[in-house]
Amino acid sequence: MITQRGFAVVFSGVLLVTSGFVWANFYLTTLGVYLIIGLVVTLPLFALTANIAGIQIDREIDKVKVFSGDFVRVRVTVHNTSRRHFDFIEIWDQYPETWILAIGENFIASRIEPGSSITFSYILQARMRGRYNLGPTDVVMRDRLGLHYYKRTLEAETEILVYPTWKDVRRMEALGKQRQLGLMFGAHRTKIVGMGTDFAGFREYVPGDPFRLIDWKTSAKRGDLVVRQFEQEKNIQVVCMVDTSGSMGNGYPENTKLEYAIRAAVLLTHLGLERKDLVGTCVFSEIVHSYVPPATSPNHMYNVLESLAMASPSGWGDYESAVSYVVEQTRKRSLFIFFTDMEESPAPLLNAMKTIVANGHRAQVISPFGPWFEAPVGQFGPVEKVLSEAVSEELWERRRKISRALAKFNISVVNVGPEDFLPTIIKTYEEAKQRGVAMF
Amino acid sequence: MRIVTWILRFASIVTFAAMAFLVYSAMDVNDVWHWAAPYEFVVTVFRLLSLIFFFASIVLLSALVIVFTGANPGTLVTGLYNTLVLRMWYMQPYGVRGPLTNINQVMAQFQGDLERILLSLWDNAFLFLYFLCAGVSIALFLQSLFRMEHKYASGAFVSMQLILILAAFRGHLIPNFEVFPADFLVFLFHPVQILALISFAYLETSYQMIYSHSVGKPVEEREETLRKQLLALRQATRKVDAIERGDKVSLTAMSRSSGATAFSFLREAIERKVVGSKDALENLDAISDVRRLQNYVDDILTSDSRARDELTAKAASPSSGYIIGSTIMGSAIRFLSVVAVSFLLISPSVLTTILNLPIGIQNSVEILQPEMTLLLLVPIALLFPFAAMVITWFSKREVVEEPKLSKEEEEEQKRHKRRIEQLKKEAKEKRRAREKARKEAQKRREHGEEKDEWDKALEETYR
Repeated sequence: MITQRGFAVVFSGVLLVTSGFVWANFYLTTLGVYLIIGLVVTLPLFALTANIAGIQIDREIDKVKVFSGDFVRVRVTVHNTSRRHFDFIEIWDQYPETWILAIGENFIASRIEPGSSITFSYILQARMRGRYNLGPTDVVMRDRLGLHYYKRTLEAETEILVYPTWKDVRRMEALGKQRQLGLMFGAHRTKIVGMGTDFAGFREYVPGDPFRLIDWKTSAKRGDLVVRQFEQEKNIQVVCMVDTSGSMGNGYPENTKLEYAIRAAVLLTHLGLERKDLVGTCVFSEIVHSYVPPATSPNHMYNVLESLAMASPSGWGDYESAVSYVVEQTRKRSLFIFFTDMEESPAPLLNAMKTIVANGHRAQVISPFGPWFEAPVGQFGPVEKVLSEAVSEELWERRRKISRALAKFNISVVNVGPEDFLPTIIKTYEEAKQRGVAMF
Repeated sequence: MRIVTWILRFASIVTFAAMAFLVYSAMDVNDVWHWAAPYEFVVTVFRLLSLIFFFASIVLLSALVIVFTGANPGTLVTGLYNTLVLRMWYMQPYGVRGPLTNINQVMAQFQGDLERILLSLWDNAFLFLYFLCAGVSIALFLQSLFRMEHKYASGAFVSMQLILILAAFRGHLIPNFEVFPADFLVFLFHPVQILALISFAYLETSYQMIYSHSVGKPVEEREETLRKQLLALRQATRKVDAIERGDKVSLTAMSRSSGATAFSFLREAIERKVVGSKDALENLDAISDVRRLQNYVDDILTSDSRARDELTAKAASPSSGYIIGSTIMGSAIRFLSVVAVSFLLISPSVLTTILNLPIGIQNSVEILQPEMTLLLLVPIALLFPFAAMVITWFSKREVVEEPKLSKEEEEEQKRHKRRIEQLKKEAKEKRRAREKARKEAQKRREHGEEKDEWDKALEETYR
């Protein structure tokens, strides 16, 4: 293949040759011939030596599963397995568009000797959960003068799974550390007073209390009989129902309702595991994409992360099928927390709730309100502003009706925006713990 | 690699100087290097413009005068001529003193001036163009030395050769073979061939210089970029610490000193913290990102001794000795082959020997003309790309690889797809059935059957 530069040389040569013809001048003709021959004479040799198939690329990454926001080092080794050198070789290793090149460069241009190899590396920051491929790699080989080239795309790709972001957990831990309030400020364990071995406090003696529980020292101080109280920790079981219907994907790429729902599910699972509670996750749209039953096994968090990493917004949300599927597999009383925008018809949602309540479970809906996740109203023109307000009002009225209907059965609906999504989920969890909802 | 680039840069300067000197000498015999030529050309252009302006003015003004006054615009025309042409551009005719008063004399003078100026412009234009081409060539040559781009080197070469092409067009004497030599050695050492070879050598050395620069530069740049990035990261971490302590820190000072402006990741992280967001949690993220990156890089650099070299791709830098050796060898082979092949293509003696031309043509004057080169040039010049194409075709080197999946994996993919489709289909059917059941239940309710609490609640949502 002749490059653009090569064609420029040919045109210069033709100009000189034809000028020589016009003015019967051998100097111009000779120089023109030099240029034309100089360009083409090395072409067969280049084609013969440019065994671009002799280039092999090996890509290594230090982790195949990372959290969104983590850093990955990519090492690319270029081997020249042929018996010829390559005068000028350019290698572009491609990475997903949404990722950020943090350190180094994903490109190298150099010369490579036969049988030798070049290694270069770069550091990427993985952004946005999902399954990604690093690669392909473009290899361009040029001759020294840049007049000819061959290009080859090596399709070998390296798969990498990006879990949802862990930053919320980190953030929570950092805040917890800063305030020196343990893992989470305001967090309390659910306890049943009266049993167990953990000391809970004192209360006045009531006839019938065993004498061994009387604290004589304190009784003497107070001048009245006081008994010691003990408590026992109880755990709860929660199932996060993550709706991945198409409408959950609306909004800015990293700030969709689904992304927040996933972050909330991760946070909730982490909180649950920290407190030995059981938290399961169901990812559904028109079918159940994945269900990780509540557990406390060491791998549980990773199972949840893997199922959430693959979630993508599409189709419609079939609450009834999802609930039937989960309820069938859940024996213990559980708290079902739905992350859904409730933009489907209300009947399936109510039916699903009916199933939950009928099976002795509790439910709660954390509902991201669409317009709060999309373009800020300030960026709209007057017409768009009016339209968006009308749509918002319509949607708000709809969800108000659904909320009122659900409230009759003690199922609360919390409308959330991007800012209060995660605090709300923490609050819901804490309240559930304190009220002892869905204890097992 | 820098030393090789400097050596080739020097070679490029020498060949360009030689080419320029030879072109200058070749043109000097025509007595074209009048240093006043550019000035004269510019003055001539302005004189022509004044004549055109004068003509346009008299046409316009005469028409206006005739239309509005009906008077003879003779005085006006002579006045304009005296002002616009004679006084402003010193074009007073020989032997005439003072302004012209007669309109016929003015028009005759105008016609004479126009012809004279046009002829003068024709002459001066070439002299001016020689200077222009030389100037452009030198400017592009200097650019090529610093910017290291092929277009500047090619531009310098073409501009220099354009001087000879223009001179040939003008009919000046330019280097030429009276009769193309039949002997290769005579041809090789002929001044005309030497000029052509040096011109070609300039192009070759310039391209080699750019190659040497571009083959070593990415590694050098990579090293520099990494140094800046690491420095910027280190400073950002310190800055983050300072912010946390509550110290005031300047953002711009850091960016300028460390080159952090080119480092988008850091810039984004820093800006999120300092410039603007009110959200404290977002700031926490930015700090965390910078810290984590710093820790990650530190870990890599301490745990893997090759990490720094791999990040800079130091090992990819080719050896200077090899580049010099291969450049000399490659260029020598190219020169020799180009000169030899070109001689074979152009020399009439070779043509007659190879082509076995009829005696009439062999003895004709046409055989001594440059056009005869075409007889062999076209087929041979096309033969090389054709050969390359055949080689490429046989080796099939441009075939884009398809990602290969094993049969089991393909089967698994298909099975998974089918399963999902089946599930979706079932879900759709179930949904339809549920909808139907719901509608029937509604009908029953409408006919007075008992409603449960859920039905009532649902009805309320539709109100």
